[in-house]
Formats: sequence, C-alpha cells, structure tokens
Amino acid sequence: MTGIPEHNFAGRCALVLHRSEDAIRRVVERCERLGVHATGRLRELDATDVEAAHVVIFDIDSGHDAALPWTPGDAPVPSIGLVGSESPGRLGWALGQNVDAFLPLSALGNLFSALVIAHATFARRSAMARERAEIARQRAGRLDVIRAVIALMADGGDEALALKQLRTMAMIGQTTLEDAARALLSERTGRREEGR
Amino acid sequence: MAYRLGLIFSTTGSYAALGRSALAGALGAIEQTRRAGGIGIEPVIRDPGGDPALYEAQTAELLDAGVRNIIGAITSWSRKDMIPVLERKGGLLWYPCPYEGFECNDHVVYLGAAPNHHVVPAIDWIAAQGMSRAYLVGSNYVWGWETLRLARERLQAHGIEVAGERFVPLGSTEHGHVIDEIRAACPDCVVNSLIGPSSVSFVRGLGARDPGRRGRPGHLVSFNQTEADLDELGPYADGLLSAGGFFAEDASPELRAVARTHAPNGRVSAFLATAHAAVELFAAAVARAGTDTPHAVFRATCDAPVATALGDIRIDPVMRHAALAPRLALAGEGRFHVIDRAAAPVAADPYLSHQTVPHIDRPPALRIVT
Repeated sequence: MTGIPEHNFAGRCALVLHRSEDAIRRVVERCERLGVHATGRLRELDATDVEAAHVVIFDIDSGHDAALPWTPGDAPVPSIGLVGSESPGRLGWALGQNVDAFLPLSALGNLFSALVIAHATFARRSAMARERAEIARQRAGRLDVIRAVIALMADGGDEALALKQLRTMAMIGQTTLEDAARALLSERTGRREEGR
Repeated sequence: MAYRLGLIFSTTGSYAALGRSALAGALGAIEQTRRAGGIGIEPVIRDPGGDPALYEAQTAELLDAGVRNIIGAITSWSRKDMIPVLERKGGLLWYPCPYEGFECNDHVVYLGAAPNHHVVPAIDWIAAQGMSRAYLVGSNYVWGWETLRLARERLQAHGIEVAGERFVPLGSTEHGHVIDEIRAACPDCVVNSLIGPSSVSFVRGLGARDPGRRGRPGHLVSFNQTEADLDELGPYADGLLSAGGFFAEDASPELRAVARTHAPNGRVSAFLATAHAAVELFAAAVARAGTDTPHAVFRATCDAPVATALGDIRIDPVMRHAALAPRLALAGEGRFHVIDRAAAPVAADPYLSHQTVPHIDRPPALRIVT
C-alpha cells in the first residue's frame, strides 16, 4: 500500500461545460498539458458525450440540473465544479449534484489537484453506493433467511446448526446467504408441489 | 530608470554554496545587461540564511517596498513559503532551481529542471546500464519525498529492485544506520536526494566506509548535484551521475567570466547559469512590455524565446515552465563530464503526464534455486 492516489490522467477525455468560451479555452489548455483531451460545451451536456468522457468539468455559476444528462447527484463519472461567484445558493446546487471536487476559476493552476481529488472522491462514493446496495439487498433477504433456517430446522437440529448448514450451502454454491436461502425455499416449494 | 529586482538567496547557512552561486549568476547578468545597454536593473538583495521563516518575511518586505519581481528561493520549502505572499501581494517569483514538479502557480516562473529533465533520464540511464538493485535516501521534506517516489516508481517500472528507502531529517548528518544498510544490501546504485550538509557528509561517509563503490560510474545518482558544491564532496563524488538542464562544460566564455568575477568558488553551475538566465528573461520581457508589472512581464516573456546563458529559452504560457535540454553528467576529478545531452529543448512535464517507460533490453534476472 503506497497511499498514492490515482494521478496520471494522460489519454483520458474530459467534457467542459461553461457559458464562456474563454473559460473553456483556459480549462482545455490546462487539460491538454496534463495529457487530458478536453472538449467544451456552451449550453448543456449530451448523454452520448458523457458516456465517452472520463471526467466532466462544469460551471457552478450558471449550472442547472437540466443541463446535465443524469439524475441530480448521480454523475456517472468524476465531476469537477468550476467556482466563480461563491454564492451559497450556487454552492448548494453543486453540493446537491455531489460534485467530487471544486476548482476556482481564479486558480486553474490547481487543476491537477482537482482531478486527483475528483477521481478519489468518485471512487469512494461509488464504493459506498455499492456497499449501500449490498446492505439493502441483505436487508431485503432477511425474511428468506429466517424462512430457510426454519425449513432446515424441520430436518432436526437447532437454529445455529440450520444457519451453519445454510452458510455451507452458500459457500459451496459460491453465492450469498440470501440467494442460498431463496434457492433452498424454491427447491423445497417445488418438491412439495411435486409431492402433491 | 532602473527596475528593482529582488534577489532572495541564502548566501549564509546550511546550503549557502548554492545561494552564492545563484546570486553570482544574477549579479553577473545584471552587470552584463547594463553594459549591453539594456534596461537598468537595481538589485535588492536579501539573505534568509537558510531559515525557512525568513523567506516569507523578506518576500513580504520587498513586495511592500514596491519590488514586483523576485529571483530566488533554493529549496522547495522556501518556494512554497513564498508563494502565499506572492499571491496576496501580486508578485512574481523567477525560480531558478531544479525541483520535484507537481506545481504550477500563477505567481511563479519555473526555470530549473522538472522531473522529466532529471529523474526520468537518470533512472532510464541506470536501467540501460543493466543495474538491478537501487537504494534510495533523501532529506525528509518535499524534495526528498517526491523525487524518491518518482525514482521508485520508474525503477520498479524498469524491473529494478529497490533494496531500501530512508529519509533523514533536514540538515541531519546522522546517517550511520543508512550506510550500514547500504553496505549490507550492496545495491548497484544509491539515489541520493539529501541536500546541503546532509548530502555532503553522507557522500563522504559512504565513500569512506564503502570504498569499493568509489569511482564506479553511476554508483551514486543525484537529481540536483551541481558544480556549486561539488568540491565539498572531494574525490568521493567520482562516478556520481547527475541529471539536469545545465553543466559547466556547456558554459560560454562570458558565463565563465561571470563565475570568476562573482562566484566565491569561481565556478559555473546550473544555479549560476539559471539565475543568470532568469535576469536575461526578466530584462528582455521588461524591455518588450515597457513595464515590470508581473502579468505583463510574464506575457511578454512567453511571446518569443530569449537567448540566455542556458541557450534559447522558451516559457510555456500555460504551465509556466522553461523548456530545457536535459543532460546527464558523471563526476570525475572535481568536474562534471556530460555523457548525454538532448538534441533540443524538451518541454517541462511537471506532472509527468506524458512519460512512458521505454523498452530497454535487459538480461533476464534469473538465478539458480536449489
């Protein structure tokens, strides 16, 4: 473990959204020096463009949800907000968009830092979203696990042994505990139906 | 009318040799500019004595007194301390030293070698020699941390084993344990990113305690060793490989004369030549712009290349760094002998965004296992 974050962005593509052509030019120039191929947009971002981009850099001053082709707060790639006026309302909008890093237009020399932070934050945010989805999935399967344990207890043994058996099934099937429980219940339901 | 130019170099203190060399270059260039009928320059000299806190205070003092351009700082620590003051007060620093990269401040012009001018060619040379084990030692601050991190990444990309990596407190000369480790590990080369007295005592100590290494080309590698303090290393420097944008061998007769007149040791170094070039760039830019306002001066300096002691120098208007022709040199008998020289200036790549690891033929590192 070196503790060094991802920091070489050569060969990546960036999309820059800003109402000013001059601001776009300055950001694009900086990107090019870091090996990042950037293209500018004046009004809005297109979903197809975003799919091809590795990072999006957009103006906070004039940004609005309709200009960004994703559910607010759920950009599919790392995002950097260009800070101009620093008004709380605009910063609030950017926070609502879960912008991964902020870059003042007056300090474009710090684009490298913004790229490093945006990529690290996006990776962390994505990992947390995956973790949340996993917890939700586990939660949704609780009842199935209880039912499967009860079903196994019918074969004799207590709940601890039944849970251990279910875990073993999950391990052998290389699946989750919840999926193993569902498979067991479905198998036993099928057997009961066949036996009728 | 004379334009005031701040010169903040530590000409006393632990790395005074470097500061004296740089100051000599700047003063020599100011005198040459005057003799050539260029703009008048009034130097305003300060000596922080190697005390990091004084760089910030002296920068503020000069900018408050109306000085708008400063050549100075040796260490990255001092440069980073000066930057907030330059930002607050609108000054411009012309930084004439090799540094570790990963910076691009709107109040600095970077004239020294960037990592693609020193770390990359030096490590590639090590790989091309077929060396297989390296040991890294550096001073415990940003220059040491970052140059050794870059060196380690590039060494490993070449398949070279890093046998050890140690950091020594800034200014410390207690590195007996490091030398013990090196003797035990027997690396092919030692990458030395120590500075000032730490470096001098380490090189002498290693040479005395491990004499078998001495003289072997590339047994020691440095990214900032110049002629400014080469004498202090004595014969222990023989075989040391250094990388940078300039060595005395390439100096013009005029630059040698500047060194004889202004440098206490009479020698040309990259510090002397780059500080000389900084004044030449400043003078040309002020003449073009008709003002010493930092924004206008910087724009003017990017307009066209300027002939300087380093050759024709072009400054990138976006990244604010000089393009330099990297050189590799081996020390021997108190001098650096250039062994490799880029044919043309190479744009600085301070974030190493454009580097690839070249394919270098190496014998497979196989050994018999019983």
